[in-house]
Amino acid sequence: MASRRQVLSSAAGLLAGAAIGMPRMARAQQKRGGVLTAILNPEPPLLVLGLNQQAPTQLVAGKIYQGLLRYDFDLKPLPSLAKSWTVSPDGLTYTFTLQEGVKWHDGAPFTADDVVFSCTKFLPEVHPRARASFDRCESITAPDKGTVVFKLKEVFEPFLYAFLPAGAPMMPKHIYDGTDFRANPKNATPIGTGPFKFKEWVRGSHITLVRNDEYWKPGRPFLDGVTYRVIPDAAARALAIETGQVDLAQGNDVEAFDVQRLAALPHVELHKKGYETVAPISWIEINHRTAPFSDKRFRQAMMHAIDRDFIVKNIFFGLGRPASGPINTATRFHDAKSVKRYPYDTKKAEALLNEMGLKPGAGGVRARIKMMVLPYGEVWVRQAEYVKQALRRVGIDVTLESNDAGGWVKRIGDWDYETSFDFVSQFMDPAMGVARTYISSNIRRGVPFTNTMGYVNKRVDELFEQAPKQTDPAKAQAMYSELQAILTEDVPVVWLTELEFPVLINKKFRNVNIDANGPNSEFDEAYLA
Amino acid sequence: MGGRLGFIGQRLVKAVFVILGIIVLNFLLIRLAPGDPALVLAGEAGAADPKFLADLRREFGLDQPVWRQLLIYMQGILSFDLGFSYRQKQPILDLIMARLPQTVLLTGTALTFAIVVGVSLGAMAARHVGSWWDSAITTLALLVYAMPQFWLGLMLVLLFSVQLGWLPTFGMNTINSGFTGLDHALDVGRHLILPSLTLGLFFMAVYARLTRASMLEVADLDFVRTGRAKGLSEGRIQRRYILRNALLPVVTYAGLQAGYLVGGSILIETVFAWPGIGRLAFEAVLVRDYNLLLGIFIVASVLVIAFNLLTDILYTVVDPRIEMGT
Amino acid sequence: MDFLRRFARNKGAVVGAVVLSAVVLLALAAPLLFPEDPWEILGPPFRRPGEMGFLLGTDTLGRDVAAGIAHGARVTLLLSLVSTAVALSIGVVLGAVAGYHGGWVDDVVMRFTEFFQTIPNFILLVVLVAIFTPSITSIVVAIGIVSWPPLARIVRGEFLTLRSREFVQAAHVLGQSSPRIIFGEILPNALSPVIVSASLMVATAVLLESALSFLGLGDPNLMSWGYMIGAARTVIRQAWWISFFPGVAIALTVLALNLVGEGLSDAMNPRLARKGRA
Repeated sequence: MASRRQVLSSAAGLLAGAAIGMPRMARAQQKRGGVLTAILNPEPPLLVLGLNQQAPTQLVAGKIYQGLLRYDFDLKPLPSLAKSWTVSPDGLTYTFTLQEGVKWHDGAPFTADDVVFSCTKFLPEVHPRARASFDRCESITAPDKGTVVFKLKEVFEPFLYAFLPAGAPMMPKHIYDGTDFRANPKNATPIGTGPFKFKEWVRGSHITLVRNDEYWKPGRPFLDGVTYRVIPDAAARALAIETGQVDLAQGNDVEAFDVQRLAALPHVELHKKGYETVAPISWIEINHRTAPFSDKRFRQAMMHAIDRDFIVKNIFFGLGRPASGPINTATRFHDAKSVKRYPYDTKKAEALLNEMGLKPGAGGVRARIKMMVLPYGEVWVRQAEYVKQALRRVGIDVTLESNDAGGWVKRIGDWDYETSFDFVSQFMDPAMGVARTYISSNIRRGVPFTNTMGYVNKRVDELFEQAPKQTDPAKAQAMYSELQAILTEDVPVVWLTELEFPVLINKKFRNVNIDANGPNSEFDEAYLA
Repeated sequence: MGGRLGFIGQRLVKAVFVILGIIVLNFLLIRLAPGDPALVLAGEAGAADPKFLADLRREFGLDQPVWRQLLIYMQGILSFDLGFSYRQKQPILDLIMARLPQTVLLTGTALTFAIVVGVSLGAMAARHVGSWWDSAITTLALLVYAMPQFWLGLMLVLLFSVQLGWLPTFGMNTINSGFTGLDHALDVGRHLILPSLTLGLFFMAVYARLTRASMLEVADLDFVRTGRAKGLSEGRIQRRYILRNALLPVVTYAGLQAGYLVGGSILIETVFAWPGIGRLAFEAVLVRDYNLLLGIFIVASVLVIAFNLLTDILYTVVDPRIEMGT
Repeated sequence: MDFLRRFARNKGAVVGAVVLSAVVLLALAAPLLFPEDPWEILGPPFRRPGEMGFLLGTDTLGRDVAAGIAHGARVTLLLSLVSTAVALSIGVVLGAVAGYHGGWVDDVVMRFTEFFQTIPNFILLVVLVAIFTPSITSIVVAIGIVSWPPLARIVRGEFLTLRSREFVQAAHVLGQSSPRIIFGEILPNALSPVIVSASLMVATAVLLESALSFLGLGDPNLMSWGYMIGAARTVIRQAWWISFFPGVAIALTVLALNLVGEGLSDAMNPRLARKGRA
């Protein structure tokens, strides 16, 4: 949406702080007690959020670790470990005032030194996204135990969006400083500041978290604990929610077609919110280095040939929105008016192909292309099958290529593909998650989630560089609107769906899904009614 | 006695070479797969940069030349260290030992069922050869043998679990049940029925047919006719002479099946979400957990060799006419 | 004709042959009966068999299950035949060489064969297909690679027996070269167990290929029966027919192949025909 309120001025920051950072919540009597059981699939490799940000890790570690900020459904920054913050008028200095009385799970006090350690030593060493964020800082200092000052080299307006727990989790200095972070023995028993402490991990079975009695928010958390059960089989997971054996299923735990059925059960509630921090878009990534892909008309034809409504309805069973361009509607600066539209129209597609000189040959085939299938689940196979059919109808013969995760990441990183399905997270602001796909400086061989297409557009590069430097939101929006117009004209990738992930909760638990981090969030306000 | 020891010794030496070969072959084979564990992890994290990939590769020891990695691995094997899983951050031997008993439970139950029921049915068919019973058993065996196991499993689930609700659909135990002791054993038992039945039915068919064919062949032999002439009861003849001799091919076949039982459980473990090493191996391939996959190959091969050795010895016990070392 | 008569005496084998012919016919006639691509989305998803003119219903995306079965017959037969051919090429050659030469050649080949038989072959199959990424070629070659050992053993056994026979001695004396003797003299006489094994191997190949597709390791461009079952696994509760019919198809085909194989075995070796066989 165009009118993203940007909480940058000091006044707004203090206001948010004064409200103790309450995200949207039900007002009711909150009782203490109860254990929430949630599904965990697949089992994460480890729980140290600084070292690993895979989806299952985020789920569990999100209760153990915290970041300086959290964000509500409209992506407004809210206090977390930072009580309040101010931004200097020139946009270069961010000063965070930390919460008081925060302790690590082992009893040591959390101070600004931990923040400085995390942001200057730990995260830049092991966390690619944080590394990119904190590289922008000229200095990160702690004038006193309760204050941290980030001084940027140049204006970067979305800087406040770098502080999600998964983006910049605060790590304990007294445990990690001076050690080999990845090999530190304490990695087996993660220590954070969050409302729940790590208790045990029985591999293949479950992970148990218990209440942190010394949590810095008074009276919180209400729950006695959170247990994550590992259930590798999809049918088993659906059954577990159905029978009430688990209280929470999220993301890909339940197959899309099963979600509606489970949501209709009397004891289950479906939330489609809770993933605004990722807001991924699935698309067909196209390698521009060979014909016919180098011609934008071919890509535009593909946009017209695929019925995105069909995909949302029959492949995602309503869990998604047709994508219209590079910026997700849930992400900042989305502008529905500036995108070029590509309604489902096979005639238009064929006209474009004709224009290119790709006339139908034997069997009506105009072109033969290869497409890599995403190896992350059944739903992607179905999508691939549909797209293959849709393109066939306009004369593009698709040969699907099946790779497993290792093979897929390698090929796409090495540019060893013609087209491939992909989906990429946006991380709340175009500068954080969108730019990386389209800027020419991010054409890096061997690295996935970069500009693997080889798309180069000077104006696009310029805009992506300039927009985050604007302190005036209107100017930034104008730039992003221009970007959306250019990109939807060039179609460097064929956007398909804005993915929505369901969160299925047993109604007896309240205030579980309360901010943009959804099920990855702390659960410090959740209670058993 | 010396003959027997020498025989075992010979086999052990051969076994060592085989295992060595398996290690080298699979070590190199899995590395032929495109992509490595670092890329897989990057894929799942949704973000990566060159430093991230390089750091991970160094951590996993993948930045060394392949022959070096092999050497390091071999050294580990000598001290029974199967290495460390990249993915699960645990010693491989621990991971395997945690799941191996589940697979053994499954395949052991299936095999027992298959042998007991299969041999009985086969013997019955042979005893009443040409009768209605015989036709029924033979047809049943043929049908079961032809069905794809994973499909049979699904159909059984559909019938006994979804439709009738008698048996659980998946897994090894009921989640959140907190059962202990006898309750736990019974719970696991209930969950064990469908998967072991699915796995066992196929082999039951094989053993039934094998036993039948074998018994018919033996029934014609001289020493049986002699027994009848001497006036021994039919039942006695069946048990002491015919069955005992007919079991030889069954034992041989059982030995050959060891490998299948370990590896074939992948399918059943997938259909029923049974936490065994077959499924573990499959998952390891997908995420390029080289060490884990290799570890499973080694353990599985050791088991197969041990099983074969056992059946060979059993063979000689059943039929002392066979000399060892031929 | 003697052979055919012997074959026909085995009622089971005749039934098998009939069923097999039906499957082959279906495979050949598929483009006539179901001219649309089986991947084509023809109707709403999850239609029950018989609804809306879909004989066997529709699947998760609205594709015709019956069309899938018909076209799947071609895919399944093709894949299993070719992979058996691969297994034959490897197994026959190795077995012949081992059996003919004996001595250290035999030892080496036998060790090699044993080695392959020790590795749990399904895991190896999965690893091979995963490594070389699932496609027609990789699947066919991988199945061939894990299937050849028993064949090599049989061929070796035959060669060991036959090489000391008179006609082989005669060929030696006549100065014929080894390969000529192997392929010209001995092999034709060793063929009967090979043919029997091959037919059983086709059956196994059908099962292996469908297992791979079920696990998601099939070629994504081929609608095979195993693939259909795998795709339907998660919806089994609401749409049992999508996995039921392909399974029946596989079972019938494998059964037919087994019956035919045994019929061939009996027909070629009448002295070994079992007493009391129906």
